[in-house]
Amino acid sequence: MLLLGSLDMQALQLQNAIEVYGSQNEAAKLALSRLKELGLPTKKTEQYRYFDIEPLMKQEWKLASKEKRDIEEADFLEIVDGVVTKAPKDVEVRYQKERKIEAGHFDPLYYLGHLLNEEVITIKVQSDANIKIVHHYTLPKTLISYRIAIETAPNISLQLSESFNGCDATESFVMAGYDLYVARDARVEVIKDETLVEGIYTPVFSNFVHLAEQSFAKIFTFDFGNADGLQLLQAKLEENSEIVADHLLYVKGEGKRGTVSQIVHAGINAKSDQKAKNILQDKARGIFDALIKIDPTGAGTKAHQNSKAVLLNDGAYMASKPQLEIYIDDVEASHGSTIGELDEDQLFYIRSRGITLEEARKMLILAFANEIIDDIEDPDVRESVHLSFERVYYGQGQLECIATCHGCSDAIIGEEQ
Amino acid sequence: MSNMVEIKDLYASIGDKKILKGLNLDLEEGKVHVIMGPNGAGKSTLSKAIVGHYDIEVEKGDILYKGENIVDEEPEMRALKGIFMSFQNPVEVPGVNNAYFLRTAVNAKRKFEGKEELNAAEFLRKAKELAKELGMKPELLNRSLNEGFSGGEKKRNETLQMLMLEPDFIILDEIDSGLDVDALRSVSEGINKLKDGKRTFLIITHYSRILDYVGPDYVHVLKDGKIIKSGGPELVSKLEEEGYAALGES
Repeated sequence: MLLLGSLDMQALQLQNAIEVYGSQNEAAKLALSRLKELGLPTKKTEQYRYFDIEPLMKQEWKLASKEKRDIEEADFLEIVDGVVTKAPKDVEVRYQKERKIEAGHFDPLYYLGHLLNEEVITIKVQSDANIKIVHHYTLPKTLISYRIAIETAPNISLQLSESFNGCDATESFVMAGYDLYVARDARVEVIKDETLVEGIYTPVFSNFVHLAEQSFAKIFTFDFGNADGLQLLQAKLEENSEIVADHLLYVKGEGKRGTVSQIVHAGINAKSDQKAKNILQDKARGIFDALIKIDPTGAGTKAHQNSKAVLLNDGAYMASKPQLEIYIDDVEASHGSTIGELDEDQLFYIRSRGITLEEARKMLILAFANEIIDDIEDPDVRESVHLSFERVYYGQGQLECIATCHGCSDAIIGEEQ
Repeated sequence: MSNMVEIKDLYASIGDKKILKGLNLDLEEGKVHVIMGPNGAGKSTLSKAIVGHYDIEVEKGDILYKGENIVDEEPEMRALKGIFMSFQNPVEVPGVNNAYFLRTAVNAKRKFEGKEELNAAEFLRKAKELAKELGMKPELLNRSLNEGFSGGEKKRNETLQMLMLEPDFIILDEIDSGLDVDALRSVSEGINKLKDGKRTFLIITHYSRILDYVGPDYVHVLKDGKIIKSGGPELVSKLEEEGYAALGES
């Protein structure tokens, strides 16, 4: 059993944990050192300020076992409770102790995740590929921790689409994430589609993306449902690289969900464009705490960031904190944030043509969401995300997991009773 | 001929500002009525009160449509019953596809009337045909509703909606503003297409030029929240020559 909350007080115990996992390598030492500097998150930790991390840290967890299994051939990559079970024939997947760890990540759980995993799942992509990753969680009341390292070859194109299925992992804590290294001139698109349902696992995903010279990454995150979850993203941009990060959040019930990010412009002429659209219903809380940092080496940067939130009820709340930190003059940067209700003039216009208020609201909410969903280039993935959103939207009051996995996607939303 | 609309002693305000002050107006079925009046007289407030705009508070009075008081009706119910207003400044709705929106509206009305809904092919065939007649680029049907449309394109789109929805009572709130001659002619032809001796039109305008294309039956002058004069088309030239100040309260 592992009591996460005690680790910052008793670093020695953590050291013991590392010894247990045999991770006495340089990466583990770096992770330990950084974790000591940052301290484990509490409700006072800035990046977890709007997310209820303490109950997760104070709970005593059974750690999911990492017993390796034979990897079956499939047309997608399946990871069950942190263990690879299926993979496409042409995707190079292996477990590896050696890994790169970013020394400047802002999230302590990024380092803790590395420390808890003696090996990481490594995916090396040598040529153009379209990889679908299905994350499957089955263990109840368990800490499921794993990390994925993805490295591309230069000048290739990769699409990674992630889906999640965790109906059986009731009250579990998933501490996972990826380190994505995009090589020079490569182009990567990551699409995460995760619907969370109250009572199942709580995810904290801590990711790092490194963009080499002239590379491009587009990161889409689609976070829907009525339960808690947080993703923490750090991206580091080298010369002439570009990142586009689009986040669509639709939370209802009492869910607390969102994104904490840092995009660091380290090289010259790098570009970033981050857009968050948040729809909050009932007593849900949305989080968009995002920093764009332009280093002294980041001359010629173009960085834009925008967050829009629509509150559908009086009890809904949006914690929106876009920030710019600029250490050089020669840049073009902007940020903005709006929080409001649905536009009354638009609602009236639609109703004036004979469409009911309820239908008009649906139209506007779907339109708000579609501005991000419709940017997905792959028509199959786009359709799948549309479906995820509409299941949550039209599910109205009740969300529930069902036993069968629908197309190996995520939680299925029950019909309204 | 009976009245399609009877407005009786209507008092309406926007916020604290009282705009309509005991307005009375009868609109005869099958006729084209024009309302003219100086800025701030209450012309747009009247049209908004008829369609149930959220800005307008009706404090007193009745709006009878086909004999039924609609003051407390929701805007969508008024539309389903056949009231249509072409907006002076149609709002842009990013992300809502123009054709999808119009088909939803058309089918909502057909359902309300107990008719079979139009399938996508039937709808598109009809919409494209009418768009062509209006001189409207067909690609506008695939764009977001009114988003990035020019002033003329917005007015043509309003006219297309009107033609597709086939309403009984049509309010045109300054549909002629900002239109060039060709657009004005197309929009007017669209209006004339619906003139069938049964539909009633209420045209709100500052200018007589649209009236050259759509011949009015009655002209009403609205000033300081009341109709101060009603007459035939000859009233338009009188107003143009003498201005509103020349009209005393009736």
